[in-house]
Amino acid sequence: MPDPATTPRLPAVGPLLLTQVGYQARLLAANGRAVMIGVGLPVLLLISSSSHSHVSVSAVAGRAVFGLTLTAWNIYGVRTVAAREAGILKRWRATPLPRSCYFAARILATVVVSVLAGAATVAAGVVLYGTHLTVTGALGALIVFVIGAAAWAAPATALTGAVSTIDSAGPILLLVYFPVLVISGVLGSVSEAHWLHTLATYLPAEPLSHAATSALQHAPGAPLLPARDLLVLAAWAIGGLAVATVTFRWEPHRPTQRRAARADA
Amino acid sequence: MTEAVFVEHLSKRFGELAAVDDVSFVVPEGQVVGVLGPNGAGKTTTLEMLEGFLAPTSGTIRILGTDPRRGGRAWRARVGLVLQSTSLDPELTVRQTLDLYTALYPRPWPAREILKLIDLANDAQTRVGVLSGGQRRRVDLAIGIIGRPEILFLDEPTTGLDPEARRRTWTAVERLTQAGTTVLLTTHYIDEVDRLADRVIVLAGGRVVTDTTPRQLRAQGGPATIRLPVGPVTVAELPPKLAAHLDADHDAIVIRTTDMAADLGELIAWADARDENLADLEVGPPSLEDAYLTAVGERLPPEASADA
Repeated sequence: MPDPATTPRLPAVGPLLLTQVGYQARLLAANGRAVMIGVGLPVLLLISSSSHSHVSVSAVAGRAVFGLTLTAWNIYGVRTVAAREAGILKRWRATPLPRSCYFAARILATVVVSVLAGAATVAAGVVLYGTHLTVTGALGALIVFVIGAAAWAAPATALTGAVSTIDSAGPILLLVYFPVLVISGVLGSVSEAHWLHTLATYLPAEPLSHAATSALQHAPGAPLLPARDLLVLAAWAIGGLAVATVTFRWEPHRPTQRRAARADA
Repeated sequence: MTEAVFVEHLSKRFGELAAVDDVSFVVPEGQVVGVLGPNGAGKTTTLEMLEGFLAPTSGTIRILGTDPRRGGRAWRARVGLVLQSTSLDPELTVRQTLDLYTALYPRPWPAREILKLIDLANDAQTRVGVLSGGQRRRVDLAIGIIGRPEILFLDEPTTGLDPEARRRTWTAVERLTQAGTTVLLTTHYIDEVDRLADRVIVLAGGRVVTDTTPRQLRAQGGPATIRLPVGPVTVAELPPKLAAHLDADHDAIVIRTTDMAADLGELIAWADARDENLADLEVGPPSLEDAYLTAVGERLPPEASADA
């Protein structure tokens, strides 16, 4: 048995967390398809929806939210399932890295990359269509994007536990994603029943879109951010995280326990 | 000598199926143990319980004195493992991967040294995703040993590798074991156990059927073998004692014997009289594979034995 007095101390958690965030963010951002989907697609939609070299602030905010949520929900969710099914999460679980540190780093890195994806669309609006953006508005949008990305990434983490194969990850995540986005009017206004609109205000897309629009078109003297929207988003982030701590799986799904035992080598 | 692994009455059931059934063994520090067994023998299930991934249905496990299900960071820093399948991020380079894992341990191998150890110094800047299967497996091994573990679990580390890649992996493991690391290795390859292990545990049907040294296991394999390829020959052309050993294709005489001198003398005398070429004469002890198959075959029910 090692003598505790002579055993070298384990590395501190803080630097490990920072290293992990950097590593996870690099993996997410280094994927060309992910960048294409998270940035290219919203900008393309922005361009296609413009008329006479002009787009509304709400359209810029909507496309930015589209890019952000695509990254925080779909790309992140699929990559998490892929890493789990490839045994990468299981490998990390067996190391001295605190499990909470790996878990938090994945979500934090996703928030960073998702915010960058949303910011890229806003930047495209400013550069291509002259969308007016103040420093206060940009800071407000940054706050909204951070909370909004967490509001999508945390529930996505929770949902990955229910996805058993990499093939089913994309369809399951999209099946949840698109209805929420459509009824929330993120991709354009929809005529909908009153109850559906009320429901949308409790989902994470409509408050995110609304708060982002409010931040981007902030006028002096007006409240910077709508508190109710931020509360809804925070509730999704915290609730999603709480559920994820229960449902998150580190190990690949076994086909069935009996078959796995028979295939045991 | 202190025990690195203590397993007592270990069982794991999946519904009605007993994947592991009342397995007990102790591994002292520094020993290299090969775990052999046919598919479904319970090797990986046992290893996953020892690694802390699976909870046993019953029984006791202590790895370096700790229940693996309760092992904290400090315990995990002392345990290395190589999973059955490669588990690497393909986007990172070899060096980035090693640097990432190096940061986790209190006294890791320097990445440069480990690259030499696994013979990948020239591929340090290569993305893992474009490495060959053998190279990826060696990166897996590097991650398993990068924290200088006191015990290393290897789950079929060379399955699917070409002979050269297997030998390179063996060399890396041997370098590690020379430093006193305890190793528990599951494999399908008998020669891997022969080369690396001090001790072999054979599992079949979830139970330990043999726990011995490779040398003793080989001795359990029965008589030695004499084999002489011959030209087409009929039974009538052979003396009665040799005729019984003519193989099914009538092109070799294969004698499994406990009286080597007498049988070899008779065979050579007959071959000399017929002017048969003795250059291809093979004489050898029972192979470890023969011994393993004997051990597994004796303990398994007929249908399972056929699978093995």
